[in-house]
Amino acid sequence: MINPREAECSISIEGRRGNGHSFWRAMALIAKAWSGNAARYIPARLQSYLIALAAIFSLNFILPRLMPGDPLHAIYGDVALVAMTDEMQAHLIRQLSLDKSWWDQMQAYLLGLFHGDLGFSYYYRDQVSQVILAAMPWTVLLAGLALVIATLIGIILGIESGYNRGSPFDRGMVASLMFLSGFPDFFVGVLLLLIFAVSLDVLPLSGATSAYAGYHGLSYVADVLRHLALPLAAMVLVQLGDVFLLTRNTVVTLLGESFILTARAKGCPERLIKYAHAGRNALLPVTTATGMRIPHLITRVLFIEIVFSYPGIGSLLNTAISARDYPLIQGILLVVTLTVLSVNLLVDLLYMRLDPRVRYAH
Amino acid sequence: MHIDPLAEIRQDPMARMGLFILAAISLMALFAPLLSSYSPNDYTGKIFSPPDMDHPLGTDSVGQDIWVRLLYGARTSLIVAGAVAIISSTLSLLIGATAALIGGFYERFCMRTIDAITSLPSIVVMILVAAYLRPSLMLLILLISALSWPTGARIVRSQVLSLKERAHITAARTFGAGKRHIITTHILPELSPIITSMMMMDARRAVFMEAGLAFLGVSDPLVISWGKMMHQAMAFTYLDVWKWWLVPTGFALSATLIGISFLSFSLEAAMDPRLRKGNVRL
Repeated sequence: MINPREAECSISIEGRRGNGHSFWRAMALIAKAWSGNAARYIPARLQSYLIALAAIFSLNFILPRLMPGDPLHAIYGDVALVAMTDEMQAHLIRQLSLDKSWWDQMQAYLLGLFHGDLGFSYYYRDQVSQVILAAMPWTVLLAGLALVIATLIGIILGIESGYNRGSPFDRGMVASLMFLSGFPDFFVGVLLLLIFAVSLDVLPLSGATSAYAGYHGLSYVADVLRHLALPLAAMVLVQLGDVFLLTRNTVVTLLGESFILTARAKGCPERLIKYAHAGRNALLPVTTATGMRIPHLITRVLFIEIVFSYPGIGSLLNTAISARDYPLIQGILLVVTLTVLSVNLLVDLLYMRLDPRVRYAH
Repeated sequence: MHIDPLAEIRQDPMARMGLFILAAISLMALFAPLLSSYSPNDYTGKIFSPPDMDHPLGTDSVGQDIWVRLLYGARTSLIVAGAVAIISSTLSLLIGATAALIGGFYERFCMRTIDAITSLPSIVVMILVAAYLRPSLMLLILLISALSWPTGARIVRSQVLSLKERAHITAARTFGAGKRHIITTHILPELSPIITSMMMMDARRAVFMEAGLAFLGVSDPLVISWGKMMHQAMAFTYLDVWKWWLVPTGFALSATLIGISFLSFSLEAAMDPRLRKGNVRL
């Protein structure tokens, strides 16, 4: 059951009406900017980000309202509604302006979003934004560390392997990583879990910390790392193949270029050719690919978290699916998409810095 | 020199292995009723029984024979793979080719949409839509196709753009060839190797997505799927059942994915002249 007082924490309908003017002014400004041949001024990437946001908006806002039957039913799902009192339902209908026109509903929805109101999770009995914020650090820790480690190891192995193409090391690496990348991510996680946590029993089975252990300081850090080891290893393993194969193939093609020949001719030391000439140039496609891998990375981290019951967004999603907590799923979709889009934007900017040709071309 | 990718991959050990794996899985799916004396929905009455002569992989938590469910699970995976490969590659071909041939605002709009869809977290989108609309196999196939065509469309577009400028097409145009003639006799045949590799890519993604969603608990309740079996088995890792329930199912799924990957790797190597010189092949 939802505590009405907690739901009151979100912005009241009066507050929204008060902001009505500024909302329409903003809308009019956007419309004006758009009609003035905005397509020419807004870079292509930003346009596609806007389309992606519109898609998420239609999934979260339009789709549940198109469903047959009661819209509140569609937004909150059967299970939540059974648990709600009549006053609670009436309150939500008022809050979401469900008894008003579509325009009013959209206004209510968008203003709620601007205030960080993603709805109410009946399962956790808290604001969706709070629930997601609490889970976020674990996901960021796992995904971020895994991305950095996998990219570093992948680049180094890729350069070494590509530079010594055809050697036993190269053949072994290519064969094993190609084989590994065939496995679905969650099964790699399951196998690590079964080997190290179930059979050998050397690492913890689930969670991010030991419950009620009361660790402080260094022993707390050690505990977190022990819990992180298996999910992190799984994340690195599933990503390694992509980075490795891309770096290796880029280095192999680069070795045929004339600047490598020049470097060799002027007597550059081997290590310098490998890392400063071939390696530096291989960074460009690897950076682009890293950016393009980020949506994939987030999907992967969701799966790996679920396998290891790691308390991040993935486990949250799992709970939301089994509890049919629709607002929570919607909130996760929105947060994940926003993260992906902003990281992509950062990668675009980083790419401009890394490749002077792109910078000067603008 | 004309390259025949099909003749080329016949020589490749990797492609042979991929074909062998896929053939084995297809046979399993095709002859499922002959390979087991049980029906996938039979309850044997014995739960968690270890493998024996009667049940090659034992029984699961509700007493269903795991081996027969594994066989029928192959059907689901292959159906999803085939259907998505066809729908998604048709969409890729249509949208990618028209974008390249028509150009202008339509092309820009298609490209921005493609970028937008590829930057969406597809698994979460599918979970949400499936939650609203109740998951069914048909819905999953349509959803996976709707989210996987953009990658292929981008490849088709760039290929058609470069084909459009080739000398033989300009030559055909000077001889008075119509648009339709150029598309059917010059552009489509040149695209066929790319379409093949695109279909493999889509099929692989589809098998993974279907299993992944089922592993997360989003699946058609009436369909037997490897992902769903793993989802159910994950709840019992504290018992010994994972040895004949979770692990064989996972390996069946992995084998299917690896079979498709190997075949498409070798096809790609056969088609990309830079990779052809033994750069990737072992």
